[in-house]
Amino acid sequence: MSKNSVRCVLVDLSGTIHIDDTEIPGSLDALERLRKSDVNIKFVTNTTKESKRVLHERLCQLGFTIAADEIFTSLTAARKLIEQKNVRPLLMVDDKALEDFEGIPRENPNAVVVGLAPDKFDYNTMNAAFRLMLDGAPLIAIHKARYYKRKDGLALGPGPFVTALEYSTDRKAEVVGKPEAAFFLEAVKDFGCDAAQCVMIGDDARDDVGGAQKCGMKGVLVKTGKYRPGDENTIGPPPAHVANDFAAAVDFILSSLIV
Amino acid sequence: MVSLELPSAVMAFNQKPVRAVLLDISGVLKNCVDGKDVAIKGSVDAVNRLKASGMPVRFCTNETTTTRSALVKKLQAIGFKVEEDEVFPPAPATCLILKQRGLRPHLLIHPALEPDFKGMEQKDPNCVVIGDAQESFSYQNMNAAFQTLIALDKPVLISMGQGKYYSEDNKLVLDVGAYKAALEYACGIQAEVVGKPSQAFFLSVLSSMNAKPEETVMVGDDIESDVGGAQKCGMRGVLVRTGKYRPSDEQHPKVKPDSIVDNLAQAVDILLKTK
Repeated sequence: MSKNSVRCVLVDLSGTIHIDDTEIPGSLDALERLRKSDVNIKFVTNTTKESKRVLHERLCQLGFTIAADEIFTSLTAARKLIEQKNVRPLLMVDDKALEDFEGIPRENPNAVVVGLAPDKFDYNTMNAAFRLMLDGAPLIAIHKARYYKRKDGLALGPGPFVTALEYSTDRKAEVVGKPEAAFFLEAVKDFGCDAAQCVMIGDDARDDVGGAQKCGMKGVLVKTGKYRPGDENTIGPPPAHVANDFAAAVDFILSSLIV
Repeated sequence: MVSLELPSAVMAFNQKPVRAVLLDISGVLKNCVDGKDVAIKGSVDAVNRLKASGMPVRFCTNETTTTRSALVKKLQAIGFKVEEDEVFPPAPATCLILKQRGLRPHLLIHPALEPDFKGMEQKDPNCVVIGDAQESFSYQNMNAAFQTLIALDKPVLISMGQGKYYSEDNKLVLDVGAYKAALEYACGIQAEVVGKPSQAFFLSVLSSMNAKPEETVMVGDDIESDVGGAQKCGMRGVLVRTGKYRPSDEQHPKVKPDSIVDNLAQAVDILLKTK
């Protein structure tokens, strides 16, 4: 293997290898081909709602051979940050995500963690978070998405509520999910490789590809999931490669990047 | 009246003649304690003295949790001599703008403010108007406002004020500015502000008493909307240490008040002393 050969592949989940409960065709086989090449693989996703266990179960049901510890989510990253800072968070996250924070002390909170939790964006909880921040509590955003697609149309993501707290306190949130550099670097930390030896595959030009490329990785954009024609032109520098789907992205990596 | 020895720094705003005064209401005239309005000590008398001196006075407020007439009644009930035509909240000004521009609002406002928008066409909305909705700032209501905005070719968001927070029951609570910022971020747009610190809003209040900005003093507890906003219009801005005031306001990175006083009574003492 040469010095510039790719040693680690990061893979987005939703929109890249599956959509809801359906495999994106060819993804199962492509993952097996990738595994034969001996590269390190990590699945990285911005989730604020689904715990790692739920994500893992879904992938297994779809037939993917994936170990739970190969999945790195924005919830995992938030937990790591909470532990690092040694704080007791007010968790504004969906009840389903709470299991990823098991064992973290939460009484008498001195930090605010915001995920996507419509039930917890009520005025009183927002005020409680606001007053904790005025007393010096840090604000940790699991990610800062503006909105997301729901069955009944577009719906507000956590970003607007994070912005509301930032505005009224004159403070900035620490964002932990994609496209933050810290997120990508933390995901590959255990592999001991340089950013230049990592490649990220995803369907989000800004958060997957742009984010990875900003911290020195290569980015491959797939034309599945939320991809819309022209997305590759919305980021600078452009994606290292644009592939029709995950299978084509794997073929490209195997033939061109592992040398 | 007791003779007062006041530090010269406090007097600074009074060096040039003052011919008109704008007063904020919440946090300057009254506080909200246990859900009830309570006059701030000395403020009823201060307003009386100011009016008795012949000084034109207007009440310039970003209050949107109640109608103008209910607000005036509340003030009268706790002793203030105030008439409706002296009070300028954002809702009537907003209605005027909506009519002028043919806008049909989707309202995200406090239920108690709704009568001030009676008669405005609200079917098939082509803009969103937000005020301090308090408990009505639920995810569902925010989402409905967002969905209206994002469906418009050119989203128009009108925010009645842009305050960061205010004091209620001795606690600081989020003001409309937080939710304005949330919708701006979600839609990638800039809201239009009606109310303080909008220059057009201040100037319309001044024109009601034919006052010039350079001859007018604004007294408020909001370092940005009251003091900073008034100064941007060419008025003098005086900060009171009541209401939502926090000591850190005195080191605000951008706004330096012309004067900082303990309360409205002290501001009026200074105004009348050199008149």
